[in-house]
Amino acid sequence: MVLVQLYGTLRLMLAGKASVELPWCEGDTVGSLLERFQAGERIPVTHKLIDGSKALHTGTIILLNRRNVLHLQKLDTPVNDGDVLALFPPGAGG
Amino acid sequence: MGNGWHGKLLRVNLTAKSCTTEPLNMEWAAAFVGGRGLASRYLVNEIDPAVDPLSSANKLILATGPLTGTYGAANGRYMVVTKSPLTGTIACSNSGGYFPCELKYAGYDLVIIEGKADRPLYLKIHNQQAELADASHLWGKTTGETEDLIRAEFHGDAKVASIGPAGEQMVRFACIVNDKHRAAGRSGVGAVMGSKNLKAVAVRGTGGVAAANKEAFRDTARETLKLLREHPVTAEGLPALGTAILVNIINQSGALPTRNSQCGTFEAAEEISGERLVQTFLKRNKGCMGCVIACGRVTRLADPRFSGSGEGPEYESLWSLGAACGVSDLAAIVKANYLCDEYGMDTITMGSTVACAMELYERGILTEAEAGMPLKFGDGNAVVKLVEMTGKGEGFGCQAGLGSYRLAEKYGAPELSMSVKKQEFPAYDGRAIQGMGLEYATSNRGGCHVRGYLVSPEILGVPEKLDPQVIEGKAAWAKAFQDVTAVVDSAGVCLFTTFGIGIPQVTKLINAATGSAFSEEEMMVAGDRIYNLERLFNLKAGIDPSQDTLPKRILGEPLPDGPMKGSVSRLPEMLPEYYAARGWDPKGIPTPEKTSSLGLA
Repeated sequence: MVLVQLYGTLRLMLAGKASVELPWCEGDTVGSLLERFQAGERIPVTHKLIDGSKALHTGTIILLNRRNVLHLQKLDTPVNDGDVLALFPPGAGG
Repeated sequence: MGNGWHGKLLRVNLTAKSCTTEPLNMEWAAAFVGGRGLASRYLVNEIDPAVDPLSSANKLILATGPLTGTYGAANGRYMVVTKSPLTGTIACSNSGGYFPCELKYAGYDLVIIEGKADRPLYLKIHNQQAELADASHLWGKTTGETEDLIRAEFHGDAKVASIGPAGEQMVRFACIVNDKHRAAGRSGVGAVMGSKNLKAVAVRGTGGVAAANKEAFRDTARETLKLLREHPVTAEGLPALGTAILVNIINQSGALPTRNSQCGTFEAAEEISGERLVQTFLKRNKGCMGCVIACGRVTRLADPRFSGSGEGPEYESLWSLGAACGVSDLAAIVKANYLCDEYGMDTITMGSTVACAMELYERGILTEAEAGMPLKFGDGNAVVKLVEMTGKGEGFGCQAGLGSYRLAEKYGAPELSMSVKKQEFPAYDGRAIQGMGLEYATSNRGGCHVRGYLVSPEILGVPEKLDPQVIEGKAAWAKAFQDVTAVVDSAGVCLFTTFGIGIPQVTKLINAATGSAFSEEEMMVAGDRIYNLERLFNLKAGIDPSQDTLPKRILGEPLPDGPMKGSVSRLPEMLPEYYAARGWDPKGIPTPEKTSSLGLA
């Protein structure tokens, strides 16, 4: 299984849902997990993270086991069974 | 004058009880942009940098920028510039709300407050009429009570900036609170106001601000508003979750200083997050004057132990009064945040000082008898109690009112103060985010995140993503961010707009408002000029470059947890590169060529 954690406006859009567990499949990547996550939701949400051409929005943070996928292989980063994927739409503060 | 400026400053001499109007030095206004830069130029001209910050010889300058009170980019900021009693450096604390625009609409660009009153007074400004009034009946009141009483006796629509009991007692990190919940928060500017026996500044202004090129300003303002409304950070993230959205982001990134920076992750971060605040105490969001972002949090407590309503906590306060103290009790954090507003204290230094006291206690250096209570990490009730005691100046609260550095030094353990130049750094671990460590060490007002917010590229990926553990290039990034921030502050624009706009847009707004034709490069030089001006003040004040450093813990104790486990700050490798990028000599002193090129020689 892969634990997908939902933060920021993503969680607000999904009525407070903090995480979902998705079955892991051989060859899974961050991108394929995002597609399966979206398929399981009633409303479109992943457009808050990526654009139509599947590029991450400026400011989107996707952490795989707490590592930013932008410093790995972005959406092509391989995902293993038991990994934790954290999704943050653009947000900021200070 | 019709060019973003009124061309007037109000000089208030509290010793002589006089209020006089002077023409603004427009040459300085052009060279130093306004606000922070312009007020620093006045301060450098008018006080000896070696002055005791809490003596009558120090001055307190309230400054607007040429864009304060206009529209387009959250243009509602003012700055308080003085010499800091916490750090001994030049201080500039920035606030929004409604007071800054009101000051501009009254017809003044700057207010210079000097001398010391022989009894409590407050300053009343009603358009061009300024006078000092008795404040004996306000002394001892909280900031909220003070505002209500002044509005009742002066003007129902007055905007008020005041100190609370903490400022009166010259708590070293007392702030100046305006509109009840916004604060010129850091570096103890409220203590300087208290040292002068000045309780408040109340303003009613019914004028406006005129732009030199009205059509260009309107077009640029509309363009700017569109950019802010379309950017996901300023249009969605900040309005919905406020700055508190960062708790989970920074914790997941391994950079949330926990239990006085002993760790980089907090196991209960979710309990004190922006997402949890939405589910519990948040009532609505709120904007400052003319702001389309509206990141403010209007909250109300519903808890058997604590009551109250107000604004916040912001991210930094959730961290300082929460994770820094190991506290997951959100109601206690919200209450402590309210108390900081009411007593008028900087939440970052307050929470970080409690965290330091907790570590002193747990190490057996500070006893229960001395503290007047057990001070265990994780005890939210103790945080609330110590905040209240500090605000009231009771018991151990008097020691906490010194800030963490002086407190820890008193107990022989200054290394347990998580501060730079005696000011506590905020909610990002300099081991996990290398550029931020460099920024803290080189900030002109000591530990601070809003002098060059490298968290934006290093963690948030705005404007582009940098690896937080890589040090190559960070010196140039730090300089660029510090210079941009100096311009944005000085213009009177909220720093949060820079998630959606940058120097090109700010330059266009300044040019349209003032009728100038600055290039973007010239604006960046102005930022560099302001930064060097502040640096030169600090050097003359005795803050030598050996203080461009970080606590031993950040330099030498590897992070024990999280994704950045094993990291320490690589400041010694970055600092020489930073000095070179600044055009300073290897010892960190601006060279004669540098100061001459900036017109500061």
